[in-house]
Amino acid sequence: MRAFNAELSKLFSLPGIWLAFLIGACAPAIIAALDSMAEKDDILAGVSTRLSEVGLIGLGAGVQGIIILGVLAVSSEYLTESSESGGGNQITTSLTAVSSRLQFLLAKAGAVAVISILLFVVAIVTTMSATKLILGEYAPVFEASKLVGVGCYWTFTALLAFGMTVLTKNGIIPLAVLIINSSVVTISYLLTKVTKLAFYLPDRAGMDMFMSDGYHTPITGGFIMFAWVTVLFIVAAIVFHRRDVAS
Amino acid sequence: MMVSSSRKITSILGSELDKLVTLPLILRTLMATFIVNVVLTAAFTSANLQGTTGAQSILDTGLASMGYLQAGFIILGILATCSEYTGGQIRTTLIVIPWRGFQLSTKHLALAVITVPMAFIMAASGVLYAFIMMKDTAAGIETGTVIRTVIGATGYLTLTTLLSAAVGALFKRTTPALVVLLGYYFIVSPLMRNYLPRIKNYSPDTAGSYMYMPLSTDEINALTVMQGTGILLLWTLLFITVAIILYRRRDA
Repeated sequence: MRAFNAELSKLFSLPGIWLAFLIGACAPAIIAALDSMAEKDDILAGVSTRLSEVGLIGLGAGVQGIIILGVLAVSSEYLTESSESGGGNQITTSLTAVSSRLQFLLAKAGAVAVISILLFVVAIVTTMSATKLILGEYAPVFEASKLVGVGCYWTFTALLAFGMTVLTKNGIIPLAVLIINSSVVTISYLLTKVTKLAFYLPDRAGMDMFMSDGYHTPITGGFIMFAWVTVLFIVAAIVFHRRDVAS
Repeated sequence: MMVSSSRKITSILGSELDKLVTLPLILRTLMATFIVNVVLTAAFTSANLQGTTGAQSILDTGLASMGYLQAGFIILGILATCSEYTGGQIRTTLIVIPWRGFQLSTKHLALAVITVPMAFIMAASGVLYAFIMMKDTAAGIETGTVIRTVIGATGYLTLTTLLSAAVGALFKRTTPALVVLLGYYFIVSPLMRNYLPRIKNYSPDTAGSYMYMPLSTDEINALTVMQGTGILLLWTLLFITVAIILYRRRDA
């Protein structure tokens, strides 16, 4: 528990984390607002077919902030300080304080998961108020099951980013891969055109948790993404356990 | 010691090139970008051969991965300027070359020297792959158009790299610069194209994309190649100027 508190305090004092919070809390609302404005005429006329998805698209894109959170949580530990302040790594200090590596990793993953859920709650509130403000009484009511789906999607994505960064030790690759892959036309979406196996990629399967026309049912999608997270976490834990800290 | 200014420029350019070439991350980025680009082009080509996305020309297929290819070059640009700030290399640099504006502009020049051939190889390899795979099915294309398009793509990638380098110099840290640029190119810009179509032609990436896109007649507000190049060039110069001004004023 003390390790968990320490990880929370480390995360909250990271300078880059504010960027993650800002994007996670504001981006869904802004996207939902733009989307509502674009769809407003259709919705008022009652011919819109996408009414139920208006806010969810924003929440799906807000996962950016969560990706930054998951990546920064690990990459900040490996950042080498400048030679004037000793050229040290934070990870050396962290592992001196918490000597069990598995415990350290679990505490960090727990802190990332908790923060992503908190951020998700904030994002729901901002998104709902944004759609309410623009669409008024026509604003969509989010179904609880879909919201749980998006929440799981956020948390799993954070943990995926976390696991990937433990493996690479450097924030550039996971950030690039995950941000590009959450763009409007994702690489995995293109891959689904080539092979049906691409529907089992974590982000495709995870999207099915809250998008209506999915390949999997929401529950299966959730399970597939969870399986990816678990496998990645186990691999990361083994690698982290066996790796020399300083290397 | 007095050195003539042309000697000075050559030696600064030489040292900047040396720094870029010996940066291990740059080599890795370029290699990874090349491999990913080939894989993506292969995926696009096979998708087109199966006819799932409709019949398209060889050029379209070969350059379909441009949207993703530019990510590698964005990373390249950011690494070039931000690597100076990890571990205080910047102070050594500025002791040796105390003319800051001069130093940063030479860095951009050196980066362009590296980027142009790389971008050309990658754009050309995509088109070549698509050509080899599709030459039986697709209609013939003119050599002139191919060369013009590949050169346009090279120019687009080079200008994007320089713009990213300038943004990297503004932020001084890799992660925020990366998040902002990738977030803009892959999240904000596609959304802007949908929701704010009036100003999309003035954004660096949409304007720049006209440099290599084949001219389409169905779009009313399409730009010509020259207009697209001009707008992207203006954006790049703007960012480089702001970066240089701040670089001269800020604490290193």
